[in-house]
Amino acid sequence: MKRVLAVTAFTFRELIRSRLLFVWLISVIVLCGLDFLLSILSFGSTLQIFMDLGLAGMEISGLLVLLLGLAVTYTTEMDQKAIFLHLAKPLTRGEYLLGRILGFFLVNCLVVLGMGLVIVGLVVFLGGGTVPVLFYECVVFILLEMFVLTTLGLTYQMIATSMVGVVLYTFFTVFLGQCIGEVQWLLNQQLSHWVKVLLRVVYYILPNLEAFNLKDRLYDPNLVLGWAQWQDILLYAFSYSFVVFLIGWINLEKREFR
Amino acid sequence: MERTAVVTDSPCAIQIRGLSKTYKTGFWFTPKVTHALKTVQLDVYENQAFGLMGLNGAGKTTLIKLVLGLLRPTAGSVAVLGGNISQRGVRQRIGYLPELPYFSKQHTGRELLGYFGSLHGLAGSALQHRVDEILDLVRMRSAAGLKVSGYSKGMLQRIGIGQALIGKPRLLICDEPMSGLDPVGYKEMRDIFIDLKKAGTTLFLNTHILDEVERVCDRVGILHEGVLKEVVPISKILESSVPVDYWIDVDGAEAAKLSGMPFQETVRNNGGVQVSGLVLAETLALLTARKAQVKGVRPLSSQVEAYFLKAIGAQAHLNRPIGGRRP
Ligand SMILES: Nc1ncnc2c1ncn2[C@@H]1O[C@H](COP(=O)(O)OP(=O)(O)OP(=O)(O)O)[C@@H](O)[C@H]1O
Ligand SMILES: [Mg+2]
Repeated sequence: MKRVLAVTAFTFRELIRSRLLFVWLISVIVLCGLDFLLSILSFGSTLQIFMDLGLAGMEISGLLVLLLGLAVTYTTEMDQKAIFLHLAKPLTRGEYLLGRILGFFLVNCLVVLGMGLVIVGLVVFLGGGTVPVLFYECVVFILLEMFVLTTLGLTYQMIATSMVGVVLYTFFTVFLGQCIGEVQWLLNQQLSHWVKVLLRVVYYILPNLEAFNLKDRLYDPNLVLGWAQWQDILLYAFSYSFVVFLIGWINLEKREFR
Repeated sequence: MERTAVVTDSPCAIQIRGLSKTYKTGFWFTPKVTHALKTVQLDVYENQAFGLMGLNGAGKTTLIKLVLGLLRPTAGSVAVLGGNISQRGVRQRIGYLPELPYFSKQHTGRELLGYFGSLHGLAGSALQHRVDEILDLVRMRSAAGLKVSGYSKGMLQRIGIGQALIGKPRLLICDEPMSGLDPVGYKEMRDIFIDLKKAGTTLFLNTHILDEVERVCDRVGILHEGVLKEVVPISKILESSVPVDYWIDVDGAEAAKLSGMPFQETVRNNGGVQVSGLVLAETLALLTARKAQVKGVRPLSSQVEAYFLKAIGAQAHLNRPIGGRRP
């Protein structure tokens, strides 16, 4: 575990020092500005809309940093073969992958929580409003989603043979994962057997990102968020990530470094 | 020529049996196959320095990557330090310097060494102490706080060697350790290798700097187009009677006296001539008879170079003076 943490710290430092956080800063400013503008223009509860958009902004900036981080590290680790040095050390490949996932996730937490702090600060100190508990719960859901996506992204990094591939795979997974509701809807339609089988496979392989999308259900009167729901989402996030991690590990073990 | 090693009592640090590697590249409709290694058989003994020589593309790097488990053999097997490279305990006792040591650019030299040290299980003040030791050894103390992105090629190479040594390896595997080093760094590195050898570290060096082989290595393997042509002790090469080329310095004004000499390979260049050692005596006698003023005679290539070229069958084709030695 000490070695995993060493890789985590190494990855964290690398990502923080690349210009990633600069990109993040810009996206914070842009999103907050946009947020502000939209919330002023719209009618109704301004602070509420501000918070809603802020949550979307947190998700987007987390995603952006993940994609950029994957692209940047693919170049050094895989293209320029920096990974040789790690793998020749007394470090198992599973430890390496886990360490990198945790390092990426840590940066993601920083990005998401940092933006959250900005939003809460604006709402409380500038807007004079209060932040509902549900807002914080939404943030945790976003973090769980980021964990799943980080695991997926790094697993793609271990499998893919080019930087563009990694970014595209991750991007499309995110995109399709958001559409899981549509897939579910299709499954209930009259379709041929084989199409349904295919859809079912897709349904189970893709991460169900809608499950993490609490923010769109904020006004759902039927929303219940009790212990059972928390258990479900945590179990889903971690078991899905675990399976993906195993796939990444197996691939890394089999991979040749030419 | 003997193919297997000299009989030694030392146990094997690396034991390679029937090792082959084929690279398959290209798409399925235009497959391209490269046989990088062809049934290589090799023992590297502990407490010795082994040098693997070969031209560009001979398969040296491929061999090292197979030993380190970065590539999987197409056929054959490798045992390292009595075990398998996939074992953590085996890798704990190995240091590796890749051909092009790339690092993530955002770290300083000190941070990198600290990180690699921690992968070897070092921590706290023991780690700091070891990092300082290494920085002194590779003379990078003053640049240790700089980010790697600002390092020159030689500085990268030094940090690369530093990270290979950080875990006090029993077996050090270096892929062209001298590349990118300045003449001072070159000598420093040679001294480091000699010290390591004295301390009982096994060295495996890939190189085409033959001078380095001569000074550091105990045994030498000659790899050519994926085939391990020979494995010989360096002493045997130095004693061997492979002809070396000589440069005969003749007064420029007397260059005319060089015409019509019975040697095959002449290189005329401000009044000198290059001859094979085989005809050296003959040529000198002839020059004396012609009353040419011979100012000096010096060997152009080292014994190791001559031996190497002969082993790969490239004597005529590649016969050329080592850079810088030409008068
Ligand atoms: N990734 C790869 N894909 C396909 N072929 C490769 C690959 N790497 C090496 N080869 C081929 O394998 C052969 C041996 O290459 P290798 O890198 O082992 O040579 P080398 O002895 O290390 O050369 P150098 O002195 O230039 O470093 C070459 O013919 C090369 O073209
Ligand atoms: Mg090479």
